[in-house]
Amino acid sequence: MAAVTAPTLPGVAGEEPTRLHVSDYLRWSVDHKIIGVQYMATALFFFIFGGALAMLIRWELLTPAIDLMADGQAYNSLFSIHGTVMIFLWIIPMIAGLGNYLVPLMLGAKDMAFPWLNAFAFWLIPPAGMLMILGYFVGQTEAGWTSYPPLSTLFSGDGQTLWALSLHLLGISSILGSINFIVTIRNMRPAGMGYFQMPLFVWAVLATSIIVVMATPFLAGALTLLILDRVAGTAFFNPAQGGDVLLWQNVFWFYSHPAVYIMVLPAFGVISELLAVHSRKPVFGYRAIALSSMAIALVGFTVWAHHMFTSLTPELRIPFMITSMIIAVPTGIKVFSWLGTIWGGKIHFTSAMLFALSFLSMFVIGGISGVMLGSVPWDIHVHDTYFVVSHLHFVLFGGSVLAIYGGIYHWFPKITGRMLDERLGKIHFWITYPAFFLTFFPMHLAGMLGMPRRVAQYAPEFQTLNVIISIAAFVLGISTFILLYNIVWSLYHGEKASANPWRALTLEWATSSPPPSTNFIGDPVPFPNPYGYGTEAAYNYVESQNKKYGTVNPADYLPAEKSTAVTSE
Amino acid sequence: MAAIEQHVEHEHGHASPQARLENLKFATWLYLASEVIIFTVLIATYVVFSLNNRDVVHEVHEKAGIMLVAFNTFLLLASSWAMVMGLRQLKLGNRQGLISWISLTALLGVIFVSLQYVEYRTLSDAGVVLFYSGGALSEFGMRFYAPTAFHGAHVIVGVLWALFIIWNARRGNYSATNYAGVEIFGLYWHFVDVVWIFLFTFIYLI
Repeated sequence: MAAVTAPTLPGVAGEEPTRLHVSDYLRWSVDHKIIGVQYMATALFFFIFGGALAMLIRWELLTPAIDLMADGQAYNSLFSIHGTVMIFLWIIPMIAGLGNYLVPLMLGAKDMAFPWLNAFAFWLIPPAGMLMILGYFVGQTEAGWTSYPPLSTLFSGDGQTLWALSLHLLGISSILGSINFIVTIRNMRPAGMGYFQMPLFVWAVLATSIIVVMATPFLAGALTLLILDRVAGTAFFNPAQGGDVLLWQNVFWFYSHPAVYIMVLPAFGVISELLAVHSRKPVFGYRAIALSSMAIALVGFTVWAHHMFTSLTPELRIPFMITSMIIAVPTGIKVFSWLGTIWGGKIHFTSAMLFALSFLSMFVIGGISGVMLGSVPWDIHVHDTYFVVSHLHFVLFGGSVLAIYGGIYHWFPKITGRMLDERLGKIHFWITYPAFFLTFFPMHLAGMLGMPRRVAQYAPEFQTLNVIISIAAFVLGISTFILLYNIVWSLYHGEKASANPWRALTLEWATSSPPPSTNFIGDPVPFPNPYGYGTEAAYNYVESQNKKYGTVNPADYLPAEKSTAVTSE
Repeated sequence: MAAIEQHVEHEHGHASPQARLENLKFATWLYLASEVIIFTVLIATYVVFSLNNRDVVHEVHEKAGIMLVAFNTFLLLASSWAMVMGLRQLKLGNRQGLISWISLTALLGVIFVSLQYVEYRTLSDAGVVLFYSGGALSEFGMRFYAPTAFHGAHVIVGVLWALFIIWNARRGNYSATNYAGVEIFGLYWHFVDVVWIFLFTFIYLI
């Protein structure tokens, strides 16, 4: 990240310019922009790590026999750590990073409400990641990311205890971060920005943060009991000793179902921004999108037992089936609002927009298979099969990750002051999109035909499907490196970004790219409607910004140059 | 980098103390809300067991008696009152009064934890233990110790926090207009007190 610079514009307030070096990202800082990049870089590291594990999983599944892994246990730890890392160390921190970087900027604020707490929340993540990986040295967890007892209490290695401690740290980190978000969003909006003038990404972060504060403590409680069972000799989850094995499932899913929305609501927020900006049209149904996030946050707490249709008392299945169907409604409202947003718009097929559109199509497939799984008879048929694996990857990869990719292409210029290469971006997209589909769509078929998840050995008739899936997965894995190469190359050689390259109306663009250490020079004035594209006023607003902040040229603010002019494009 | 940090701190110096207090209080409420949920998990674990095993609960109640823990509850309630009095003295401008009352709060907290230890000893001698050792009493034990010890840990943190408040007060960091630190500690301490009232009701009374 050596080329990332945070200039103080020369001639303004007579300040010495600051240039950030890569080492500034390796130490404690309370600047939300540095913390945001720290989150995102850490998350990308774990994305590669979790991705490598996924490649090993697909390699093992090329043949029906166990050949790559030493035994079934080794395979168990493979998918357990893959799942946990991708959820807790990639998607959640990546979104926290985007939120950290963007929320104060979108609100026209100088920083989060509690800068020190913000830094503290981030610095809990590296030790948590290390704890997770250290499990490989003491006997890694083998119980899956859901860690059901008795697998996680009586059978798994000591890595399971480290896993639980790691999740504890990550939970504390998310809770502190989310408290910070809620306070910032409630109390630090600028004059002229009510709740219904906030960008939709901020709405999404607000809804997500409310879920984190209300749901993550359930996981903390369950993990505490799990650790006690493993190290203190209690038997909370052991029915043979007076415990209750369903207690974990209930409490875990009471957290983890809302956690699904923790991962996908911010992605919804990203998509709302991208679709409006790149199709140059006001968001269709702004209030519907904003409030449906809140509705999802609320209803998300009433559906947890649909993960337990096979272990639950039968008479409880129907109520949970009904709530699970209901929660599809606010999501449907969003999808139709997004379609309404791009309908008749002047669509710019930038890389960011391509990923946003791919999100729209793939997430809908994931949503529909979710409704299928929500209906009891279907769920019992495909329970614990690859159908479930397919569904969750369609919503988490097809949903969260594709949205994150889009977000990276969209906000990289703001964060670094340089554009990502569009040609590489399109190559990245056209490999990722079909490879994603061919990796995860055939899993539906494997699941319906009865291939169970979480097994290294499978019936020979599934081999053809698995070979197709594996080859597509390898292509998908390789496509990620195009993005990484693009990031590194563009950091040094990318085209200089102007203040507002996408001509967006939200406040994060109303400052130089990258923003100075205090974010704004003076108090930014929000445009009355953050998505009011297509009017003359909006045109003039964007023009005035690019004139005012323009392209930041290091030559203009580096001490040696002593230049006083601010270049405009 | 140092320049940026200074700058951010500097900018925060500009935020009005009133706005900062608002932020801190709101954040504390959110933090306490998440604490409520952790306690809910632990208490629910106990309550489900207690509803299904009335005889075990009665047996433990007979063995342990209620006098000690009732006295302890009284101490904790009194400590919350001392907390309120301390904040009131500070708002009246009496810093010495704050130090005295908060010291009483901390002292009552220490006595509470000590008596809880005495109670734990009595119970473990009677066979109510944390780890599973066979029999209904240890099934009760784990569900009893987890929430009460978790609460005890919160009392200990509260006592340390009170000592920190006293240290700060002696250095003259609080005044009749600058009492945010004490007020936020007060929120936490009252929360610990309220949680205990729930624990006392569910575990000892029902």
